[in-house]
Amino acid sequence: MDEILRILPPHIENEIRKIPDKDLIQLQEIRYRINRPLELIFDHKYECLTHVIPTAQDGQFLLNKLGDHSIYRLEDELREGYITIAGGHRVGLSGKVNTDQGAVKAIRHISSYNIRIAKEKIGVATSLVEQLYQNEDYQNTLIIGPPQTGKTTLLRDMARIMSQGDQNHPSKKVAIIDERSEIAGCIKGVPQHQVGMRTDVMDACPKAEGMMMMIRSMSPEILIVDEIGSEADVKAIMEAVYAGVTIISTVHGDSYEAIKKRPSLAKLFHQNVFKRLVVLERTSTPGAVQSLLDGDGQILQTKKRCVTYEVDRSSSPTLRYNVGRI
Amino acid sequence: MKWIGALLLLCATTWGGYEFARRLNNRPKQIRELKNALQVLEAEILFGQAPIKEACEKVANQVPAPLSWFFKEFSEQLDQCGSSLYEVWEDRLKQYWPMSALGDGEKEVMRQFGQTLGQHDFTGQQKHIRLALSHLERELEDALEQQQRYSKMVKSLGFLTGLLLILLFI
Repeated sequence: MDEILRILPPHIENEIRKIPDKDLIQLQEIRYRINRPLELIFDHKYECLTHVIPTAQDGQFLLNKLGDHSIYRLEDELREGYITIAGGHRVGLSGKVNTDQGAVKAIRHISSYNIRIAKEKIGVATSLVEQLYQNEDYQNTLIIGPPQTGKTTLLRDMARIMSQGDQNHPSKKVAIIDERSEIAGCIKGVPQHQVGMRTDVMDACPKAEGMMMMIRSMSPEILIVDEIGSEADVKAIMEAVYAGVTIISTVHGDSYEAIKKRPSLAKLFHQNVFKRLVVLERTSTPGAVQSLLDGDGQILQTKKRCVTYEVDRSSSPTLRYNVGRI
Repeated sequence: MKWIGALLLLCATTWGGYEFARRLNNRPKQIRELKNALQVLEAEILFGQAPIKEACEKVANQVPAPLSWFFKEFSEQLDQCGSSLYEVWEDRLKQYWPMSALGDGEKEVMRQFGQTLGQHDFTGQQKHIRLALSHLERELEDALEQQQRYSKMVKSLGFLTGLLLILLFI
């Protein structure tokens, strides 16, 4: 949180500090619009601070802090529309756009800043990862969910767990293609989040190209990529699957049925690439899994007699057989 | 007793003349150093792509003493306080100027340059550095002319003023 407070003008920083701690941990976004009240978005509600109105100077202050007083270094960021700061938090920008021959050159006169607080929930994917492990290897997995349901949080934790490994699940070489710098939150290529010891990150790289680059150069066992959608992405995923690399990915969508109908993804389902589908829902708390499906869209039963507890003799054998982990 | 006082007076005015001449002589030298510093800054920003703070630290290592303090303290203070870059810049200018032999013209050039520092993209920043350099070039010519015209005169003027006062008092 200190990384965020550091970039805010002092009078706004004081207002944020007044928020009680129990609310502060639920804070997701600070929306900072010039000459309009400051808006705070929490997990379950939103709040407008009508007495805090950032001025144009405050906007300039924030931008200067974001770029270390050196706007010229933000050339790429101003074109992409977001800036990653220490701690992996991201600041989205909008305002007047300058174009050059139809392509966006930079955002000038920024009127809205959206400070998105990165939530690193260590251990959120632990139980899920176990379900993805079958036949001595992780299965190709697709996480489906609408925005803000914790897809990226889940993906990040999965990367960490898979590269770390434990006694039942050997550690793997993981490669992350982080096109929007959200999974690892890199600054100058160095991950700001815990993504695991054996994880390599290709930051701000176009997904399709990045996947091929990683396979060629870094010999990963697991390839993690965020938000697939285009034909090129699908083609690269097919290449990776044929190369024997496990794919973990996410896609925007409400349900398995809706995703299955998307023309660009049809090939993936036709070839039955994904053996595990994780569906998240907006109503649930971020990162909570709604349902886990297998490759045919059937709900996957929680495994009886979980391998972890095979030698555990603390409960009765009948109970252990039928209920599994207690 | 009278002669000792006269001698002291003569020494004082001569020293004053030399001191003034030294300032006149130092001004072109320091403007050249300032230009050099801006050129280093330009290289650091354009080729090193360093943020202002780092760029100024490097400039401080490459320029001679009084000017290096200015850049060093500027880059140190930039991080500490919550004020804007320009406020820190102007504050540093105010502190540094009396220590140097530089004139008001250069101060104004540097003040205006401070307003543009770090507020533009690479090409914009380069243009502003070039603009400041060309302004400094003009100030340099001015300073050289003044140096040629006045430095010798000021020296003898100091001595002669002392002599005149002695003659008047005797």
